[in-house]
Amino acid sequence: MAASGVASPTRTEVLQLYRSLLRVARQFSDYNIREYSKRRTIDAFRDNKNLTDPSQLSAAFSDGKAQLEVAKRQALVYSLYASKVKSIMDIKPS
Amino acid sequence: MASKLLRQTLTKTNRSAAIRCFSTAASVASPSEYEYPTGITMKGVKISGRPLYLDMQATTPVDPRVLDSMLPFYLSRYGNPHSRTHLYGWESETAVETARAQVAALIGASPKEIVFTSGATESNNISIKGVMHFYKDKKRHIITTQTEHKCVLDSCRHLQQEGFEVTYLPVGSDGLIDLDRLGKEIRSDTGLVSVMAVNNEIGVVQPIEEIGKICKEFNVPFHTDAAQALGKIKVDVEKWNVSLMSLSGHKIYGPKGVGALYLRRRPRIRVEPQMNGGGQERGIRSGTVPTPLVVGMGAACELAMKEMEYDENRIKGLQERLLNGIREKIDGVVVNGSMDRRYVGNLNLSFAYVEGESLLMGLKEVAVSSGSACTSASLEPSYVLRALGVDEDMAHTSIRFGIGRFTTEEEIDRAVELTVKQVEKLREMSPLYEMVKEGIDIKQIQWAQH
Repeated sequence: MAASGVASPTRTEVLQLYRSLLRVARQFSDYNIREYSKRRTIDAFRDNKNLTDPSQLSAAFSDGKAQLEVAKRQALVYSLYASKVKSIMDIKPS
Repeated sequence: MASKLLRQTLTKTNRSAAIRCFSTAASVASPSEYEYPTGITMKGVKISGRPLYLDMQATTPVDPRVLDSMLPFYLSRYGNPHSRTHLYGWESETAVETARAQVAALIGASPKEIVFTSGATESNNISIKGVMHFYKDKKRHIITTQTEHKCVLDSCRHLQQEGFEVTYLPVGSDGLIDLDRLGKEIRSDTGLVSVMAVNNEIGVVQPIEEIGKICKEFNVPFHTDAAQALGKIKVDVEKWNVSLMSLSGHKIYGPKGVGALYLRRRPRIRVEPQMNGGGQERGIRSGTVPTPLVVGMGAACELAMKEMEYDENRIKGLQERLLNGIREKIDGVVVNGSMDRRYVGNLNLSFAYVEGESLLMGLKEVAVSSGSACTSASLEPSYVLRALGVDEDMAHTSIRFGIGRFTTEEEIDRAVELTVKQVEKLREMSPLYEMVKEGIDIKQIQWAQH
């Protein structure tokens, strides 16, 4: 995927992407997928924190946006087929 | 319209709102008879929620990114990849070939060497029976190990009934085979050596590179069942010198019902097909290639390649957390199989002075497998643990914890808590444990006959 010629994302755009990914992650009805999405987003953004090369930055940013689209679709699919009973990890001990 | 629906569903946590939009369906997907708002009752067991899943060696959940890649092929791109005359066939074929390349990239092979099957069991059958039947005039001997998967052992037994000879290599107490013994057992009429890369029950990683070197030296084809190894440890068909390799889709967060077989082209290994038909998959495996499943497997392999390092580091930490957490609270915990040559996501533990069935019955909120799962109908302890030389009573109390990509620290902590609680409770009731605490050696007792 040729990333040259595409402008690097601005700081605001990156933060917006980060917040959107976390927001969609919170919407997963499945406990494990929800936790994974949150954790993976945080770790991925942290690992890429020090990227400076513009082509690498654009590539990572577009990858992030593609992942956001996948996550949005799947959050919907998971909610349509969610189990009536929640995972034991989601049930607070009474 | 679609985005409005998306927004509606994502903002409202009330699921029935989404369902009202689709007025056609009678109810939401598969209403379960056993699920109630207060919990689940099934097979006489009542639990308040879905158990936490720690059985990754049995199967893994499908990664949402894999599901996303598969869905279009169930919805609009439903063509048969072997239809040559229209777009549906062409797009399906392109997708299959892309998936083939993704699988090949993960193992360091060429796409032309990958054949899609219905799973690792089928791939194992093709490898063992296919190779031996093809070379049946010259080669009458197979070497395998005592800890192989049931399908490998059963295929070998089938060949034994046909008149072939099979050598089952023993393993040490750490689960590893003796390489010198392997070299000695190879004969001039040995047609195949089959050793699995990562054992599904104990998680031990066999020295595949060394075995590959020995097989190359004696010019014997080498088959490995890499179902548990794919995407978890580094698999390289050149370094391993394998001629055949079985791969499974549902162990790497892909769909069930699909697998692959790697067949080396240089030097070419020939097999007799087990599925006859229209000659699909280069004649090795006839039958329509299931495009959605294959696309899912390809996506899972690509994902595994990207995420292998991240997953491994995490899972290693979780395994240590689990083992240390349990060992801190209770003693008499034995790890089955070598601790160094092991895949980090598999922890098979035996708890002394505890009865296995009762332990499992108390652990209903944790989805784990016991060592004797495959043979649970006969209450016989697992043949793998028996091959390791584990005592009967320890083999009965073994539990296999499977940690994966989606396991969280909280789940590990909860599993530790539940396991420790159950083991302590059972030991409290155990007269044998009382005697052990008083210092009596159980093995020296002369039980009086009445």
